[in-house]
Amino acid sequence: MNQADISKIVSKLRIKVPPEHRRLRGPQGPEGRLNKLRKTVTGLIKYERIELNYRRGDEARQYAERLISEAISHGDCHKPTMEIADYWLLEKQLVHKLFKVLVPRYENYNTAFTKMYKAPQTYYGRNIDKAVLELRGNPYPSLTNKQSNNRLLLQNVLLDAAKYDYRQAKYAEMADKMSKTEELQTKLDNNPESKPSESS
Amino acid sequence: MIPRLTYVINILKNLERNIIQSFGYPPKELALAYAHQKQVPRQSTKFTLKDLVGDGILLAVPKFRRTVEKRWKRKFGSPDYVWKMLVPKTNIAICNECGHHHERGRLCGNCYKRIETETKEIQAKIEEKLGNNKPIENDVIVLYDGEKLPDETKEFWQGKRIVEMKKERPQWFSKNLLQKTTQQPSDSKDVKPTDLA
Repeated sequence: MNQADISKIVSKLRIKVPPEHRRLRGPQGPEGRLNKLRKTVTGLIKYERIELNYRRGDEARQYAERLISEAISHGDCHKPTMEIADYWLLEKQLVHKLFKVLVPRYENYNTAFTKMYKAPQTYYGRNIDKAVLELRGNPYPSLTNKQSNNRLLLQNVLLDAAKYDYRQAKYAEMADKMSKTEELQTKLDNNPESKPSESS
Repeated sequence: MIPRLTYVINILKNLERNIIQSFGYPPKELALAYAHQKQVPRQSTKFTLKDLVGDGILLAVPKFRRTVEKRWKRKFGSPDYVWKMLVPKTNIAICNECGHHHERGRLCGNCYKRIETETKEIQAKIEEKLGNNKPIENDVIVLYDGEKLPDETKEFWQGKRIVEMKKERPQWFSKNLLQKTTQQPSDSKDVKPTDLA
């Protein structure tokens, strides 16, 4: 009844967040896990596109999304947000980047701020799932160039033109055939005796 | 039934012997004649493993035969855990860009390699040019050879982070695929593409 609206306390992420976190086991325990994730989040903000193990990437992505959404909703004059940014970004020049570059970039986004792809698997090696994690709106060439359905793609324009030409040629052929049969019909209708007389 | 019968027979036999012996032994004329041979006492030696092995060594050997299940699991694996048989993959797709095969739901290996090298080149360039520890306050703009900044005043570009790649823009890295990005200088009066960066 008197409970606070949860969506006003915690920013809602635009990615799927599993109910349980991954443990990312190591000798240092939970603290080591957070250190690993801090390194990854820092790398993601710095390089904007990184390739890493899938499990770690998927885990770090959630923290990066949360960090950016907090920065967008509270701004750089909010002390707790600044502390969060200070904790998650190991290189301090990236704190400036978060508030001055990424916040203006993502302010009006309706989608998630990051994107993750499964990297091609390497065979005959250690078979660990790899992933490519990137920030949206980065200056690098895009990983998925889904232009094949674009009608304005040069190949599609040429194919459309070829199809159109083929269809026109077929129509012309059909029309030619029909006119010929019609001519024959009219000839036969006009002088029905001519044919038997010719044959006899 | 039979054990009881033999039991009774044994009792009868004992009774008979006792009765006969009570009358004394039978006369010596009825005894069998046989030649007595004195046995040479053999040296009794205990059996030891040393006699069997000699100078060699003993290896551990399996005591029991392995079951069929275990043998087959070693050979073929288990379909629920590690399946060692060769199984055809059904999740192979053809890349729309380059025509190479790749697993469904993953990036195409050929395309990704190309993009990865370009990305790393740009990253290295950015790191080299702007990798000082100054606070990052602007987005990076990547320009290739022969590309101009979008139309803005000079003051707008003050302090912006512009990285120039010392080569032509790759043909596949373009937003507008209807027009060529890299063109040979010619005298024709065709309209050249603009605003591709």
